Amino acid sequence: MTSTSTTFDDGALASLPDAPGFTSALRALAYDEFQALPIPSPETEEWRYTDLSGFALDFQPHTPGHGGSAMKGAPAHGGDLAATMLQHNSSVVMTTSGQDLDAKGVVFCDLDVAAEKYAELVEPHLHRLVPTGRTRFTALHGAFRTGGTFLYVPPDVAIEMPLQTLTYLDADGAAVFPHTLLVADRGAEVTFIDRYASPDLASAFSDAVTEIVVGDGAHVRYVSIQEWGSGITHLGVQRATVGRDADFRSLAIGFGASLARAETETILVEPGGFSEMLGIFFADEYQHFDHRSIQDHVAPNCTSDLLYKGALRDASRAVYSGWVHVHPEAQKTNAMQTSRNVVLSEHAKADAIPNLEIEANDVKCGHAASVGPVDDEAVFYLQSRGIPADEAERLILTGFFQEVLDRVSIDEVRRGAELAIQEELERAS
Amino acid sequence: MVISQDEHLEALAKGYRFDWKDESHSVFEPKRGLSKAVVEEISSLKSEPDWMRKYRLKALDHFDRRPMPWWGADLSDIDFQNIYYFIRSTEKQAANWDELPDDIKGTWDKLGIPEAEKKYLGGVSAQYESEVVYHKIKKELDDIGVVFTDMDTAVREYPDLVREHFGTLIPANDNKFAALNTAVWSGGSFIYVPPGVQVDIPLQAYFRINQENMGQFERTLIIADEGSYVHYVEGCSAPIYSSDSLHSAVVEIKAKKGARVRYTTIQNWSTNVYNLVTKRAAAYEDAVMEWVDGNIGSKVTMKYPSIYLLGKGARGEVLSVAYAGKGMHTDAGGKAIHAAPYTTSVITSKSVSKDGGRTGYRGLVRVEPDAHHAKSNVRCDALILDDISRSDTYPYIEVEDETASLGHEATVSKVGDDQLFYLMSRGLSEVEATAMIVNGFIEPITRELPMEYAVELNRLVELQMEGSVG
Repeated sequence: MTSTSTTFDDGALASLPDAPGFTSALRALAYDEFQALPIPSPETEEWRYTDLSGFALDFQPHTPGHGGSAMKGAPAHGGDLAATMLQHNSSVVMTTSGQDLDAKGVVFCDLDVAAEKYAELVEPHLHRLVPTGRTRFTALHGAFRTGGTFLYVPPDVAIEMPLQTLTYLDADGAAVFPHTLLVADRGAEVTFIDRYASPDLASAFSDAVTEIVVGDGAHVRYVSIQEWGSGITHLGVQRATVGRDADFRSLAIGFGASLARAETETILVEPGGFSEMLGIFFADEYQHFDHRSIQDHVAPNCTSDLLYKGALRDASRAVYSGWVHVHPEAQKTNAMQTSRNVVLSEHAKADAIPNLEIEANDVKCGHAASVGPVDDEAVFYLQSRGIPADEAERLILTGFFQEVLDRVSIDEVRRGAELAIQEELERAS
Repeated sequence: MVISQDEHLEALAKGYRFDWKDESHSVFEPKRGLSKAVVEEISSLKSEPDWMRKYRLKALDHFDRRPMPWWGADLSDIDFQNIYYFIRSTEKQAANWDELPDDIKGTWDKLGIPEAEKKYLGGVSAQYESEVVYHKIKKELDDIGVVFTDMDTAVREYPDLVREHFGTLIPANDNKFAALNTAVWSGGSFIYVPPGVQVDIPLQAYFRINQENMGQFERTLIIADEGSYVHYVEGCSAPIYSSDSLHSAVVEIKAKKGARVRYTTIQNWSTNVYNLVTKRAAAYEDAVMEWVDGNIGSKVTMKYPSIYLLGKGARGEVLSVAYAGKGMHTDAGGKAIHAAPYTTSVITSKSVSKDGGRTGYRGLVRVEPDAHHAKSNVRCDALILDDISRSDTYPYIEVEDETASLGHEATVSKVGDDQLFYLMSRGLSEVEATAMIVNGFIEPITRELPMEYAVELNRLVELQMEGSVG
């Protein structure tokens, strides 16, 4: 496997900026794992719908960014933010942070800076939820990542406005390794937005990892907005652990990339935890989306609720496969998993595999999945009220997505998603 | 099944009520283990045509080369060399129950088959170990050209029909256990229903294993010609032994244009039987195929009856009920592959797990490109009766046509405390109340069964609930 030529070799590793402190050992370990692990085979259940066996890892391993005028094409965030970070290609180029955050003991900075300055906060968590050895791609991430975001919110500190990191990629042939490590201590409250954007490129690679620790009684909202241009292959793993009586709400918005595979996992490790996992996507042209989720109920009395909704057009393909796993001790679990897909054109293709593995009896678990066209009767009804067919279809689809959007509490994010959906719909007609 | 109140009470006290053993019957000394010689011997004992012998040997080669399935239940304890692959229990097939040896006849009497035959069956096939020992079809059906015979006889008497269809839906290399069946198959049913013929009363086959470490590999082929109807019912049981037996059947069904086939199974193997079965049906234009699949017994079951909807307007339905008690893993389900326009399928699964048992629903609904306006609905409900049991749901939905409409829903729950409380406040014991709730839960399946089987299934549920609570 490793005999196939790759640009991620000894030389590339040696020319990376130094890994700070404890991360240099992590980098070395990950590089060994990268060399040992095969590209996941489509013969395995996990990769059955995304075949990367012919995917060449011949990207530029490290592309320093410089921000400034190069970021002109990057999307702007309309709403108020408590703090922002900009990563341009492989480098964090700017961090803004209000004084009150510092005063409260909030840490928001480049992950590499944090690994040196706040090792005691970073080391216990970095690559604990997503070990580098998970796949060849997470190993590659562990070896070649530079930059990334570290956010720590101390006990009982509440941050009202969202914080955001924008990762902007504009170098053809580059590989980027976005990493977010978010630690919300006991009773903390925070909202964080990860935004990935780029122009259309010939080819580039995004290999992302997100690790979220929701402490006991903490409230965390996490939003990812994936609006990579075409030409980009995006492989993301997001994993969160939810503490006692804590509350974690995540939203994944995916419109971009040529191929995007997003694994979203929540582990409910203490009683009373809550996890909401929302997703919306709109696939067109030859886009390939592979969404995988795990709701892992380890502790009793936890609730998880997943709702993914998406539309497919042209020759696009979307796969949703999810797992609800209820461990024997996780009595009084309440878990729901729903995947809804609207197929808008002849060559689009959708698959849904919502799995349940239940090892406790006093539980309420359910799942629902559907794949189908826009309801003819609903279109007919609107037409009979004088609305043209294409407009009727747009209205119905807007309503379809509204069920998810109504649950998004951050105004700017909701408005942005509504706008993106409208743009997609208008492009269709 | 015919059973008196007293027998029923006695059965409740004993648990599995099919646990009696006849003295071992074998026309020649049975041998354990699988080899090319064993396959050749089976073929030669049956005086088969050369094409079938070659086909068996090719299948054995597939079986040897294929790995065990990496998914599903744990099959690592199966010892293929400890199994008897062929036992001939009687010299010749009987058409009269009295021609059978006394204890074999006694077994069928205890199972209530002769009495059921008199009352409400159009034909009966009784397989004991490897071969059908009794077979009979009502004269009226025979007269109008309905063929219902055992598979061995069919190879001799209907060679062209058999050769045309055998192994066409489930080829020898389809999966490891289909390959095994193809190599060593023996017994099973062959049914042909002529065009337009409606067989109003069910045809039944019953499969009995008596010998410890028996391997039973029946092979069934049903062809319902255009516009015909047939309902085939199968049941099975075995004594309880301390070491394992293997049942690995292959069933192929073709429902031609406008035909309707219903295939009902009440599988009640003892808990030392591995039940690894491949069942597949093709439904052509406007045909209807229905699988009613009850899996109550066995140590391990892996069985996913499937329907290939190949003609415009074909319909398919799978009703699956699965139970898993102590030491049992019942991995059941269903598949519908839509390969033609305006096809519809419905899959309903109900499972109950208890005493550490594990039930699973594993299914696939696939819509091929151009199967426009296909519709499918899948519903899976699971009840888990205690905190050491488990339920899994693995539904696959694959859609390649934009006009197709598919839905899947599943719930997993326990028997509601308020339901129990209500029934107990009306004077029912906790056991009775639980049995009543479980019976209500699987009612969508039992109401589709022939009356006698529905009663049987309800009794089984009551029996399984005994000692479960309180």
